[in-house]
Amino acid sequence: MRGRYIVTPHLCTGCRTCELACSFTHAIDGKPGRSRIYPLAAGYKDLYVPVVCFQCEDPACVKSCLVNAITMNDETGAYEISPEKCVRCMACVAACPFGCSLFDKQHNLVIKCDLCGGDPVCAHFCPTKALVFELFDEEELKEVV
Amino acid sequence: MGITSSKQLLEMHKECKATFEKYPKKVIVCCGTGCIANGARKIVEAFQAALAERKIKDFSIEAVKETGCHGFCEQGPLVVIEPHGTFYTHVKPKDVEAIVEKSIAGGEVIEPLLYTNPVTGNKVERYQDVSFFTHQHRIALRNLGKIAAHDIRDYIAVGGYQGLAKVLTSMTPDQVIDLIADSGLRGRGGGGFPAGKKWRTCRNVESDVRYVICNGDEGDPGAFMDRSMMEGDPHSVLEGMMIAAFAVGAKNGYIYVREEYPLAVIHLQKAIQDCEKHGLLGDNILGTNFSFRIRINRGAGAFVCGESSALMRSVAGEVGEPRAKYIHSVIKGLWDKPTVLNNVETYANVPIIAMNGPEWFKSIGVKNNSGTKVFSLVGKVRNTGLIEVAMGTTLREIIYDIGGGMLDGRPFKAVQTGGPSGGCLPAPQLDLPVDFDSLTAVGSMMGSGGMIVMDDKTCMVDVARYFLHFLVSESCGKCVPCREGLYQLHELTERVCTGEATEADLEKMEKLSEVVITASLCGLGKSGPNPLMSTIKYFRDEYLTHIREKRCPAAVCKKLITYTVIEEKCTGCMACITACAYNAITGERKKPHFIHQEKCEKCGACVAVCKPDAILVE
Amino acid sequence: MKPVTLTINGKLVRATQGEYLLGVLRREKIDIPALCHHEAVEPYGGCRLCTIEVTKPEWDGWKDYVTSCLYPAADGLIIQTDSPQVIEIRRTILDLYLARCPEAKLVQDLAAKYGVMKTSYQTVPEPNDCILCSICTRICDTMGFKAISTVNRGHGKEVAPPLDQPPDACVGCLACALNCPTNYIKWKDVGGTREIWGKKFELIRCEQTGQPTITREFADYLIANRNINADYFKIKDSAHRTETSLGLGKIAQWTREEVK
Repeated sequence: MRGRYIVTPHLCTGCRTCELACSFTHAIDGKPGRSRIYPLAAGYKDLYVPVVCFQCEDPACVKSCLVNAITMNDETGAYEISPEKCVRCMACVAACPFGCSLFDKQHNLVIKCDLCGGDPVCAHFCPTKALVFELFDEEELKEVV
Repeated sequence: MGITSSKQLLEMHKECKATFEKYPKKVIVCCGTGCIANGARKIVEAFQAALAERKIKDFSIEAVKETGCHGFCEQGPLVVIEPHGTFYTHVKPKDVEAIVEKSIAGGEVIEPLLYTNPVTGNKVERYQDVSFFTHQHRIALRNLGKIAAHDIRDYIAVGGYQGLAKVLTSMTPDQVIDLIADSGLRGRGGGGFPAGKKWRTCRNVESDVRYVICNGDEGDPGAFMDRSMMEGDPHSVLEGMMIAAFAVGAKNGYIYVREEYPLAVIHLQKAIQDCEKHGLLGDNILGTNFSFRIRINRGAGAFVCGESSALMRSVAGEVGEPRAKYIHSVIKGLWDKPTVLNNVETYANVPIIAMNGPEWFKSIGVKNNSGTKVFSLVGKVRNTGLIEVAMGTTLREIIYDIGGGMLDGRPFKAVQTGGPSGGCLPAPQLDLPVDFDSLTAVGSMMGSGGMIVMDDKTCMVDVARYFLHFLVSESCGKCVPCREGLYQLHELTERVCTGEATEADLEKMEKLSEVVITASLCGLGKSGPNPLMSTIKYFRDEYLTHIREKRCPAAVCKKLITYTVIEEKCTGCMACITACAYNAITGERKKPHFIHQEKCEKCGACVAVCKPDAILVE
Repeated sequence: MKPVTLTINGKLVRATQGEYLLGVLRREKIDIPALCHHEAVEPYGGCRLCTIEVTKPEWDGWKDYVTSCLYPAADGLIIQTDSPQVIEIRRTILDLYLARCPEAKLVQDLAAKYGVMKTSYQTVPEPNDCILCSICTRICDTMGFKAISTVNRGHGKEVAPPLDQPPDACVGCLACALNCPTNYIKWKDVGGTREIWGKKFELIRCEQTGQPTITREFADYLIANRNINADYFKIKDSAHRTETSLGLGKIAQWTREEVK
């Protein structure tokens, strides 16, 4: 189930459908959660880039978590925050150099992209295929794991 | 100086025995904490002074031994002349001259210093004939009152460390465990858990590190059994730990001594040092592969640290709070390693069992309860002190034959066994054999050996209140049933004592006690309601009298009693008026006095000074 | 990781040998109160509310009442979570809690669920909302600061920093206050300063937006002890996202020009 995002920035229109999809996928009791992906203006005309967790190899968020609430899901390769373990200290929110650990104030949760369990919904909904999720083939998988 | 083989130990034993028996007469001065408090050290100094002045044939200061507690604390300071056994009681430093002159140099007995049998009125010459001692069977206390507590040579002289030598040179660890299991030795700290089974479980856990701990915390109010053994025969405890360590495979041991036992710490430290000097602690003990070291940890005044998991946390430098023991500490104990924790008295029995074998131990006591138990017999008995009897001895024998019966001839009311975890038993239970199982079956427990005798002037509700108060202040506070439950039980019992309780409160106490017993985290909470429950069970009428009649039959509960002057008896001496700190008594010389109830604080000072017994308390 | 089979309220359930029963019960969606439980720290066994009744066929009908948060799963365990004795235990514990924390809504609500509307015991002389669950102290210990602990024994027990002084070890992370079940721990963020446990902390201001993030002390601790680049803490997460998009934008623009 492991893969990676393939981003083609010039196809991104900044429509924010990915943001919406993420928000609704992570709804709790019908209330939409905060999105973990943000297509942001990239500094040039008509250029947008989706900013989402890079699932770093040496994640600052994991290092900053003093209760070990952030662990890797071996199946998906994504780092996930356990909401039961998390103590809401905001260390990871402050430490992530990409700003991809965020606080969902409404639900009192510290959140980050979890690749939706291996098949990210944002990629499915991207109308222009600017954001695509591609599974690794066997060779690539061996390298990664 | 190291003893590197059992053969060398045997030789040393012969040497020490020769020295020990060098003088035909020995003077034993009891130097247990009780007698020291009563001036025993001054008596030793007096002997030193007397013997510095004169030379006596076949005698010297070497033959004056400072030993551990004889147990007859009521009669201290004690001096015994061996081997005859001349038993001198209430000795004062000024008596020493005469003892030296008459009893040591001469062969006379000094009558006024002899013990008087309270029942017959006769003087008894030898301690072997004193009923307090004749009914005892001293195994754990075998050396107390015979050897110098701080001298390893005395211990070796009487056969010390032979048990260790036998175990190390002729047995495997598993055989040692079998021996202890076979003997039926059960933990003497209160739990009564089979020691052999505990050791076996510890040994069977896969681990490179194991620990052996001795629980010397002894927190029960009124208990001083372990104190006397640690003070008076520290080597027996060390030897027991060494045998246990060999059996389970531990290289390090700890003795946890409560903060309030400084003499025990001093004597244990000396004993450890002497063992290290002689190679009995350290590497390759007695020339074998067995290495073992012991350290002493001191408590800091917490009763709850006598609980095994709290004790281990305390040894590890953490706050002494117990933990749930669904995973036992024999499996995961000190620093999460398999740990054997046993009581002082349990270890004191081990060397002699190793020497004499399991059958010998089983021949003493009763079925499933082999051996003896040390008790601290206190309260309203004539002879208070430390005793050791075979399991199965009845309460009646202990209280009347050994204890000499009730103080001042007052009627027996109850006996509290097992300290704050135990219960009170009334007169119908006097013929109960004292052992682990019989006492538990009737709602009490043997506990670590505290035995408090109560007469008709003891209020059972007040006793329950006292123990609850103790437990509330000693609770670690971690779990709700104990911290809040015992607190509320204490509040409710107080209300019975002040006459504010209702019968519904009594039912509430019983129901709450059930929950505290079931839901508490550790033994302190789980057994905390026992004094309350047992007194309600056996003395329910007394509770009801407090509640319904607002009266305390034993005339103890201050809010429910009145002090009145019996006019016919009052001689008008004004002693009580002088004694009363609250100015509650008025009267003129030679006229009957009067106590003003609103000022009276029921302190009892007036009763204490009234010669004609003219003050009625009811 | 041996699998075992248990019977819970008459139903056969699978678990792993040694795992604590509370997790198993919650997996089975059985509602068990557990006030002193928090997944970030080791189970405590202090509130005793998660008590359940366990037995085994070989126990001859003898039942044990144990806290599920610390009791390890074993093959053949027969568990009852709502027997009359268990309910009585929970009811009594909540009744006792109300005598100590009469105003705490969490306790009131939970007690009401078990039919206790007000305490049947004497309210303690100085009631407050601290339920002594020790979640705050255990989290602080786990995080490595050990700035607060439970002090005093027995009924006088309370949570406090050493000697009631502003604790040196505290970094102002607020983990204690934010996880307190009754919101008993007070703290204040005013301007660029945070105050908790009588100690004042400087809040880092995002260099771009000026908004506060975490305390300077907490960031310094993470930089010094967790090998995290000090620069990361200079701006807040939203500013990081913007920077990231601008950074990626440069690469994107370059490829766009390439494509052209």
